[in-house]
Amino acid sequence: MRRLVTVLVAVVVLAAPALAKKPPVPLAAPAFALPARSGTVVLDSLRGKVVLVDFWASWCEPCRKSFPWMNAVHQRYAAKGLVIVAINLDKTRGPADKFLEEFPAPFTIAFDPNGKAATAYRVKAMPTSYLIAPDGKVLEMHAGFDSKYAAALEARIAGALSP
Amino acid sequence: MITRHRLGLVLLLLAALAGGGCAAMSVQPWDRDLLAQKKMRFVPLPMEAATDDHIYFSKEGSTGGTDVAGGGCGCN
Amino acid sequence: MQLEDAGRARGARQRLRAAACVLLAATAPSGARAASAPHWQLDGSALLYGEQNRARVAEPVARITRMFADGQSLSARFALDAMTGASPTGALPTGTVQTTTSASGSTTTSSATAIPTQPFQDLRGALDLDWLRPIGTLVTTTTGFHFSHEKDYQSLGGNARLSVDLMHRLATVTVGGGYNHDGVFPVGGIPQGLADSTVARRVGTETKNVATGLLGVSRVLTRRWMIGVTASRSKEDGYLTEPYKAVSVLDPSTQRPMLQLTENRPATRTRSDVLASSVSHLERDVLYLSYRYYWDDWGVRSNTLDMKLRHELSGGTWIQPHLRAYEQTSAQFFVFGLIHGPPLPQYASADDRLGPLRTATLGATYGFQLPGHSGEFTVRGEYLYQWVSGRPHIPVSQVGSRVEREDDGGEGGATGSSNSASGTSIGSVLAGYTVQF
Repeated sequence: MRRLVTVLVAVVVLAAPALAKKPPVPLAAPAFALPARSGTVVLDSLRGKVVLVDFWASWCEPCRKSFPWMNAVHQRYAAKGLVIVAINLDKTRGPADKFLEEFPAPFTIAFDPNGKAATAYRVKAMPTSYLIAPDGKVLEMHAGFDSKYAAALEARIAGALSP
Repeated sequence: MITRHRLGLVLLLLAALAGGGCAAMSVQPWDRDLLAQKKMRFVPLPMEAATDDHIYFSKEGSTGGTDVAGGGCGCN
Repeated sequence: MQLEDAGRARGARQRLRAAACVLLAATAPSGARAASAPHWQLDGSALLYGEQNRARVAEPVARITRMFADGQSLSARFALDAMTGASPTGALPTGTVQTTTSASGSTTTSSATAIPTQPFQDLRGALDLDWLRPIGTLVTTTTGFHFSHEKDYQSLGGNARLSVDLMHRLATVTVGGGYNHDGVFPVGGIPQGLADSTVARRVGTETKNVATGLLGVSRVLTRRWMIGVTASRSKEDGYLTEPYKAVSVLDPSTQRPMLQLTENRPATRTRSDVLASSVSHLERDVLYLSYRYYWDDWGVRSNTLDMKLRHELSGGTWIQPHLRAYEQTSAQFFVFGLIHGPPLPQYASADDRLGPLRTATLGATYGFQLPGHSGEFTVRGEYLYQWVSGRPHIPVSQVGSRVEREDDGGEGGATGSSNSASGTSIGSVLAGYTVQF
């Protein structure tokens, strides 16, 4: 029994740093040029706009919630200048297209099957979203998706759009 | 001597598995497409597994090993 | 062997395993897709199980799970076991035609070569409730409750486990515990240990308590491969003897059974096991491998190797062949029979489940969906062969000058016989269904 407790404590001690550490957020949003549904998406060409970058995949369960939310945000803020770029990380186009049939998206979808942009953005979980200011700096990063965070992010977007 | 410390060795192995490993980021979060599938679980068919536990518990002298949680898409 | 004994102390270990199978819920839907997130899951299974000339079991099971917005889920599982047939008592073939009367008053006639069995009939009901609750994004807790009841046994238990994701979800640590309080009230009363039929049985209930703890770690090694190791230990104490089993006492000169005694087992048992599992996604198939090493303080040690290969076919169907190999050593106090003369040991049991047992399983599951319906069906057929290594041959009564050896008489007589010492064949068919809505 005592041995069990000792090991339990050891595991918790070893795990603590991993739990406490927050993944480092890149200060300046890394550039990317990725194929989109039509044409190419180049982040640098979006300088001067508020951009929401979301890394997603067809197999990511919470993405089934984030897409309807991004749709709603697009409806409300696209006219005010918000640009949403949802970067897909599926290894092949098939599953991604199938997902988009189920969750149609009017915003930009980019494809990063090799994960180059995801690596540059140091994505640690699926999905992960980054709010980028007009000057190219990352305002906020959030791993995962839940309704509480979504409400806070929307407020942040509204704040960033009205100077 | 080995038999007496069997459980101790096992617990040590578990601790090493949990905390150790330099392969921390060998599997990127976006590489979990296969792991996200329902069949990629330690117990993919729970009803079948429960039936088997029941059968072998009645017919044999050992108690069933319990499978552990883990894997999956790693989302949220 | 009695499948009804499955009701006996199914154990916190099994409950912990069942608790782990409760699905994680989808989070709250927002926007236009609110209707698509499933709130319910229904799982059903029906088992038909039959041992050659022995027990037959039909087991329907239904499980309903409710998933909530915040990731919590609640599930209830109902299982019914209808058991009938004959079960070996542990006594040795007598060498003559025998008529025995069981504790419940029914009589069996067994042939000279047959292993004595006892008929039984029982209906067991079980209820399992599980509550899964995520705490934050990395921690999940599960709490479970179990209740089961049959003619001569009742079990009540609770269990809990905690899972923590570490290393950016590449490792998961699970810790759990459970406690069971069981009651034994055998038909005909509780026998005195190692006593013959002249000693009266005691009317009443005995209890058995089981405390279990487990610790497990799983690791994602590559995009296609994850492994896990779980160690568990349980301590049982109370009435651990099998009230219907018997131990034969042999006449030293004729080597034939002259007397039957009830068995007797220690009042405590500490059981441990380590399970190593691997799930790997090959080119198109998925390979499930597991190895379990078990040991306890009664001297039983066992090795189990289990292998399944899931192969995808066309149209969303799949086939999964299964192979399992099992071997165990016997308990210290296991005997095939006792020789009359020397003083009786403190503990003795001739129950095959405490003997040098081997089991081989071969089976396959087929999975499919019906067009236009999201639920999945599975059908599984399995063949098990179980045998005890080193079972001695008892010479049969000499008819004229012929001595018939026990292992020639596999067919048995017309009444209540079971197969010979060579082993038992078991077949099972399991149908399953699962749907979310």
